[in-house]
Amino acid sequence: MITTPDLIESLVAGAKPVRRLRPPAARAALWLLLAAAIVSLLAISHGLRPDLGARLGQPLFVAGLAASLLTGVLAAVAAFIVSLPDRPRLWLLLPAPALALWVSTISYECLTEWVSIRPDSVSLDEAADCFATLVLTSVPLWLALLLMLRYAALLFSAAVAAAGSLAVAALAATALSLFHGLDASAMILMWNLGAAALLVGLGSAFGERMFSWVASR
Amino acid sequence: MSPSSHDRGPDLTLVSEAAPSLAAHPRSGRESPAACELDWSIYMARAQGGDRDAYRRLLEDVTPYLRSIAARHFRNSGDIEDTVQEVLLTVHAVRHTYDPARPFGPWLVAIANRRVVDGLRRQGRSRAREVALETGHETFAAPQANLPETASDGRVLRDAIEQLPSGQRDAILMLKLQEMSLKEAAAASGTSVAALKVATHRALKNLRKMFARQDGKA
Repeated sequence: MITTPDLIESLVAGAKPVRRLRPPAARAALWLLLAAAIVSLLAISHGLRPDLGARLGQPLFVAGLAASLLTGVLAAVAAFIVSLPDRPRLWLLLPAPALALWVSTISYECLTEWVSIRPDSVSLDEAADCFATLVLTSVPLWLALLLMLRYAALLFSAAVAAAGSLAVAALAATALSLFHGLDASAMILMWNLGAAALLVGLGSAFGERMFSWVASR
Repeated sequence: MSPSSHDRGPDLTLVSEAAPSLAAHPRSGRESPAACELDWSIYMARAQGGDRDAYRRLLEDVTPYLRSIAARHFRNSGDIEDTVQEVLLTVHAVRHTYDPARPFGPWLVAIANRRVVDGLRRQGRSRAREVALETGHETFAAPQANLPETASDGRVLRDAIEQLPSGQRDAILMLKLQEMSLKEAAAASGTSVAALKVATHRALKNLRKMFARQDGKA
């Protein structure tokens, strides 16, 4: 086993100048810019949902959209802050109020405007389209997050992965709300909360390994 | 188990003093951590810029402090040193995450606590699956194999070998007791390697039979 003085010498010998990280809020803003760019590109290629104008007049839809967007933004900020060793992990609670509001709006919508799913109300094309939007939004965002936070592998990767996954899931849900007319409540539940739960679950379960894998490259 | 559940070590506070001269300061270990934190912060800021002397000084200065943190959780000196080295490696890998505008102590202690928790988890896993080998332990799981050999066991074995036919006895003596190689034994005895192998196999079979008979009688 190498002795500690020898280890220090080898670390000093390999010490090169490093560039300090920008403040976490600035890095989160950079990542959110990427998210905005992806959503804009999807909007150009896919087109927004036809009834978006009418839906934007409904307070419940606007509240849900704003809450999911805010959840994504705050969860991203929390992930970048918590990835630093000396920041309190209470920052993980930053997106909690927005998340509560988002879940509340979806639950309220489901309770008050339950639309039963008829056999012809869920088409395979629509489901595939929703899935494609979800993948096209979340995969690049996840990869960017993994690269930007790869040093977290050595620190608090599970907490960072959970917050990052929530950010990705909330932003993907926001994109879904903009592009797809999810009129059936079960569909809203499935694509919003279901996808969010899946992404956060995957992130929590495999985040540590993924950060370690990216960090070792 | 979260890092916050562990003792974070003595609180570190900033002490305002003039910027340190690398040559003038005494080694850490004779200074309190509180008096060093501002220095450590400055050393790390210089190290981020590529100043190797400042980096060496920083790592050497924080090592006793890290050792004191690790010693609160581990008794074995090897575990303590392992943890210190892992903290140093982590500090090296994530040194770009330190912001010189913020205190150095919480940054270092958070990393140290993380590595301590990892060490404790690793120790817990290995304790659940492994048994530490100590002087009294041998390499075999069977209890009989770990009983110390008595003089009478050796005598019984030698007597049994003496009862073997001469070819088999020579093969066992050369290959098992004198630990000669097959080639060496073949050259010494003037027989072929194949014949030696056969003789050894038969000898072991006969010895097994003899001891089985003795066990049966006993």
